[in-house]
Amino acid sequence: MLVAPIVAVMLLVIALPVFSAVATSMQDQRIVGSPSAFVGFDTYATVLADGGFWAALGRSGIWLVANMAVQTVLAFATALLLQRSAWWSRAARTWIVLPWVIPTVAVAVIWQWMLNSNYGIVYKILDAIGIQIGAPFGNPAHALWAVILVNSWHWFPLSAIVIYGALATVPVEVLEAAKVDGAGAWRTFWSITLPLIQPILFALGLVGSLWSFGILDSIYLTTAGGPAGATTTMPVYVYDTAFSAFRTSQAAAASVLTVIVLVIAATLFARLARSKEET
Amino acid sequence: MTSRRILTALPRTAAMTILTLVVLGPLYWVTISAFKGREEIIRSTPTLVPETFTLSNFEQLFQATQYPVFLRNSVIVAVGTTVVTLLFSLGAAYGLYRLKVPGSGRIAAAVLLSYLIPGTLVIVPLYSMLASLQLIDTYAALILVNVAFTAPFCTWLLRGFVLAIPRDLDEAAALDGAGPLRTMVQIVLPLLAPGIATVTVYSFVFSWTEFVYASQFVVSASMQTLPIGLSAIVGQYTVNWGLVMAGTLFTLLPTAVLFLFVGRHFVGGLIAGATK
Repeated sequence: MLVAPIVAVMLLVIALPVFSAVATSMQDQRIVGSPSAFVGFDTYATVLADGGFWAALGRSGIWLVANMAVQTVLAFATALLLQRSAWWSRAARTWIVLPWVIPTVAVAVIWQWMLNSNYGIVYKILDAIGIQIGAPFGNPAHALWAVILVNSWHWFPLSAIVIYGALATVPVEVLEAAKVDGAGAWRTFWSITLPLIQPILFALGLVGSLWSFGILDSIYLTTAGGPAGATTTMPVYVYDTAFSAFRTSQAAAASVLTVIVLVIAATLFARLARSKEET
Repeated sequence: MTSRRILTALPRTAAMTILTLVVLGPLYWVTISAFKGREEIIRSTPTLVPETFTLSNFEQLFQATQYPVFLRNSVIVAVGTTVVTLLFSLGAAYGLYRLKVPGSGRIAAAVLLSYLIPGTLVIVPLYSMLASLQLIDTYAALILVNVAFTAPFCTWLLRGFVLAIPRDLDEAAALDGAGPLRTMVQIVLPLLAPGIATVTVYSFVFSWTEFVYASQFVVSASMQTLPIGLSAIVGQYTVNWGLVMAGTLFTLLPTAVLFLFVGRHFVGGLIAGATK
């Protein structure tokens, strides 16, 4: 009774669509919902032969690793600062989450405005110290990195708060004992703090990676996957294939293949983390 | 000694300054930009404080654009999502982690696993499903989809709070003649208050900021939520940066203000839920 509603919603919104994606991927559907015939694995052959699919998968890999790297460094640094007892840290615990609570569309507009080459404040400041950034969202060589940085600005506060909470679970006595034994701050961090908060970091890494992978709005609202496909990650590829190119079955096949890749990657990650924990 | 102290504090102070600038700087900038006049906002040397505060951008936002309609739609969807998420995740957390209904472990794992599948990958079949239920272009579609992405996380968040409630309480309540429902409402619910606050804020923020599903599952302009409406305003008034900034400010303000008031509780609840 109590659990039924959530199970029903998950069946309807996630499980059914996943099964229906598998069914659709074996057809030749064009516009979403249009009549179509069964074609077996032909659609998969088409998708696997499409260079765009592999490029999108590769870009998603870069997107995932770079986002996690940038956000982890920012979040850890922030968490360590939040842990202090000075007035700044106490105040920051409230406002640090602001970039995360504002809508992605606002994030996109703000950064487009600040990086605008005619009136943008960040553009002007960088220009004044001799750094020419041009149009970061319009340059195929820089666009992906620009979106990664903007997306990291949007998301790092959430990880920072979770890591800050994890650090708070480390008993003070343990840290003091280490100090008495003559361990420096760095050593304490690596040999005591990090192993103790590892389970939380593992969950954060797994959930954060899958969230990052699925991000569509940050990209769509800044570059819409362009210029010339330079920021077309897998979600953008699926979205465009279905709603712009009207190749619904190909989009479904790409989704199914990607979910398979993600399941394998997540399993490997979990196994790796577990084996590390045991040693 | 003091000079050495200053030296060791220097990198930390620098990091704090940079972090403050990076996080609050853009928010300051969008705020003051919204108050600048048409001429001042596009000056080649930007002014750090507006020379003349004007409200004309906000007047235009409320009169020339559909902002009030978008705002109403966003409020409906966000409140609807929050209420449904609360009911569903409380029920699920209570059933799975306290009553331990048969198969709890498996159900919890299945719900969490399906939640981990990136929703953007199933957007196509999701659209077909909503179309066959005739839900395209309704608030219900957006609320239903939002709940699927908030409820599992919120159930998991509530887990720590539910597990922390002592079991003896149930027995004491049962001795006093309270049924399971009454025990939940009168005894357990008040103890879950911090968790409930966190869930409320999380689901409100999620639905307030959600863009991808709202952009596909709602078609008519009169049904669009703020993120979609704002991106339409941006597209339409692309050279009118003052208006765009006013629209942006009024899109982010509701959740930002909510956060400045309850942020501390949210952070506390998130940490308690995530680390238990």
